[in-house]
Amino acid sequence: MPATTKTTSQLLFNGILSENPIFRLALSMCPAVGITTTVMNGLLLGVAVLFVQVFSGCTIAAIKNHIHPRIRIPTYTLTIATWVTVIDLILAAYLPDAYKQMGIFVKLIVAFAIITMRLETFACKNTVKSSFWDGLGMGLGFLLGMMTLGFVRELLGMGTLFGYDVLGVRPLLFFVLPAAGFFCVGFMMAIFNYVELAYNRSKTAKQS
Amino acid sequence: MKTTTVKNVLVCVLALLGLLLLSGCGQEHPFVQKTAFKDTSSIVIKFAGPVDEGRAKDISNYTVYEKPDPDIKLKISQVELSPDKRTLTLTFERELNQKQPHMISIKEINSEGRSLGSAFVSVKKLYLGYLFSVLIGAMLINNFVFSKYLGLCVFFGTSQKKSTAVGMGITFTIVMVFSAMMAWFLYQFVLKPYRLDFLQIVVFIGLVSLSVQAVDTILRKLNPVLFKAFGVYLVLVIANCIIIAVPLTLAANEYNAMESLMLALGAGVGFLIALFLMASVRERLELANVPPTYRGLPIAFVVAGLFALAFLGFSGMSIF
Amino acid sequence: MKELIRITTSLTLSCLIAGVVMGSVFILTDKAKRHNKQINISQTMLGLLGYDKDNPSPADLELYTVYRYIIEDGAVKTLGYMIPVETGAKGGFELVIIDLAGQFVNRFNLNITPENAAEPPERKAALNAVLKPPKRFTYADSTIIAKRGDKRMAYLLPGAFPGFKTFIHVMLALDPDFTIIGLDITEHEEDPGLGGEIQEDYFKNQFKGKSFERTRELLVIKEPLPKEYKQYLESGKGKELLKGVIDAVRAKYEYKDIYALTGATISSKAVTNGVKEMTSKFAYRLNIMDSVIERQHIPVAF
Repeated sequence: MPATTKTTSQLLFNGILSENPIFRLALSMCPAVGITTTVMNGLLLGVAVLFVQVFSGCTIAAIKNHIHPRIRIPTYTLTIATWVTVIDLILAAYLPDAYKQMGIFVKLIVAFAIITMRLETFACKNTVKSSFWDGLGMGLGFLLGMMTLGFVRELLGMGTLFGYDVLGVRPLLFFVLPAAGFFCVGFMMAIFNYVELAYNRSKTAKQS
Repeated sequence: MKTTTVKNVLVCVLALLGLLLLSGCGQEHPFVQKTAFKDTSSIVIKFAGPVDEGRAKDISNYTVYEKPDPDIKLKISQVELSPDKRTLTLTFERELNQKQPHMISIKEINSEGRSLGSAFVSVKKLYLGYLFSVLIGAMLINNFVFSKYLGLCVFFGTSQKKSTAVGMGITFTIVMVFSAMMAWFLYQFVLKPYRLDFLQIVVFIGLVSLSVQAVDTILRKLNPVLFKAFGVYLVLVIANCIIIAVPLTLAANEYNAMESLMLALGAGVGFLIALFLMASVRERLELANVPPTYRGLPIAFVVAGLFALAFLGFSGMSIF
Repeated sequence: MKELIRITTSLTLSCLIAGVVMGSVFILTDKAKRHNKQINISQTMLGLLGYDKDNPSPADLELYTVYRYIIEDGAVKTLGYMIPVETGAKGGFELVIIDLAGQFVNRFNLNITPENAAEPPERKAALNAVLKPPKRFTYADSTIIAKRGDKRMAYLLPGAFPGFKTFIHVMLALDPDFTIIGLDITEHEEDPGLGGEIQEDYFKNQFKGKSFERTRELLVIKEPLPKEYKQYLESGKGKELLKGVIDAVRAKYEYKDIYALTGATISSKAVTNGVKEMTSKFAYRLNIMDSVIERQHIPVAF
């Protein structure tokens, strides 16, 4: 495959909308279900993933000509694991409270299918610059997905946003219960599907 | 063929448990046969022969404390001896914290006029019971899929058919046990002593890839039939975050070898159970009339949410 | 063959680079991590004593830590207290060994500065110098004594006990009469929305002001939390109540048991029982330690 011809903004929006990692590709859903009880958690883990995605994408794009094809996958894994360790150490040192909340999920970024997938399909064939924008788009897509879920769950479950009281009551405590993460992701996906179906229907109606 | 594999695994587990049962019964004094908690506030001591009533019923003959707090003696309110003079019941003023092992020192045991010296024995819940609770805990109470929300990508990917679910579950369990034991060993004897624990992510993911490769090679050589059945799932194992989460949990909680084995086994079997349950429902869903927007993953998520709610009922349960 | 060598070298090289990157980040962040942890702990402690940003702690407030160890010499067990003493300009530590019946056994001077004493490896090294094998020692717990002027102001006890899911780590503050000044949950893994509510003011502030005698008999009751009491418990968060109302509510609920959290009775009971245990064990040990200190004329810093 030749290097991408897409522009920067196309690369950026590709990750945020049409290939949103959580709602469209249905990859890396464990943290989307597990820790989106507050917006803050979603934001922080999103930032961590963004960091790993961008840095490993750039690293692989920079050294792509020196990677022997037979050790391609081990190199990817090593790169991702290194950057995950770096962000894990930094978060543990400078944001200990938030780190405690996210628990094991920061370390588990290493097993995220989305990052390996982008390295395999994009970064190893493109320049550092376009890999950077692609990683940024994918990371932002993940971050926004996490924040949306966190927003819905925190607002409906606790009546707060970023820890500040907004509604004054707790409308549906159910939403902060751990199991509700599954329902939230399910409903969100259904909404995305609905929009897509409606869009396609209107397009075909216009054409005929 | 699959049933024989399952049978073999079962036999191994049973043999292991039997071995533990035998080793768990040892006591520190030959005349004291058994000690155990009874009710919320008493301890029962069984002797090998009858003991003399006068000495045995003396409260000052006994000192009891929780193992981590040797200086705080628990107050005994009553000592009872059974009619055959072999079973002694110590009743305490307050409820006992049965999660802690208790130490009992008996100043003197007299049997039929002879003094048998002093005894120092411990009372604890059976270690086997504890291991079993770790196993059940990882399997049901803290099921990695429904209570910890891990391994979801593979979970939703391979739970469409029951046969796939079972194949994936078994392959996963084998690799899980294999890599968790290696990870435990490496963490305890290399990473921790040399203060290299910040390398744990790299090391664990490397170990997992290595064990997947090893199982792949061994299976291919030893049993091509089995390889044909399970080989396809091996690639997916590495994309499952449970396989990384278990070694990380082992490292964070300082489990010993036996507990690690039980946790790994529980995690694997728990994943198998979750996959099987989900596959049973999704096979039915194929026939149901699902609204078009919910078809595929969204409805699967809602079903998983219902399962998670059901599994919430297990949480906080304590066995033994 | 040439291929193999090339693969091996490139893999080794990338591993080395990765190792260097991770190692340097570890070295750079490790110090900050420990520093932040220390700040976090001291903020929790000052918060329990009633000091915060708007109400900074006075200059004459001093915190001293006593570390307790269990020493085993064969089958004989004794307790070793690492006590800060006033020797020299900077102060040091003395190890006081007390047997299980509460009688003084021995005392040693330790070669450790107050700054180093916060680090477990440093303490181990200092203790190893006076406790020769076959004596073995294991760390049990620590107590922080807050002193203002020449009077003891409070005791701060870090502790942990099993909760509904895993361990709940807390910091308990007691005044010199062992009345509870405050409770803070430092770490827990209870379910958010259910057992996770133990860290909310309306639960943990219920322990405030319970006397030693009352704490011993404390129970958990399954009744809905009265509204006025909840307002009182949360009054620190800006929802100010009138002074008269506060006193009336406090008097009304002072002798009440702990109201269980909705849907989390086990977590509530775990915290209540944990606090009860910590208080009674601490009071017992402190009395023994104080009497030994007095009889041996140990120049303690607190």
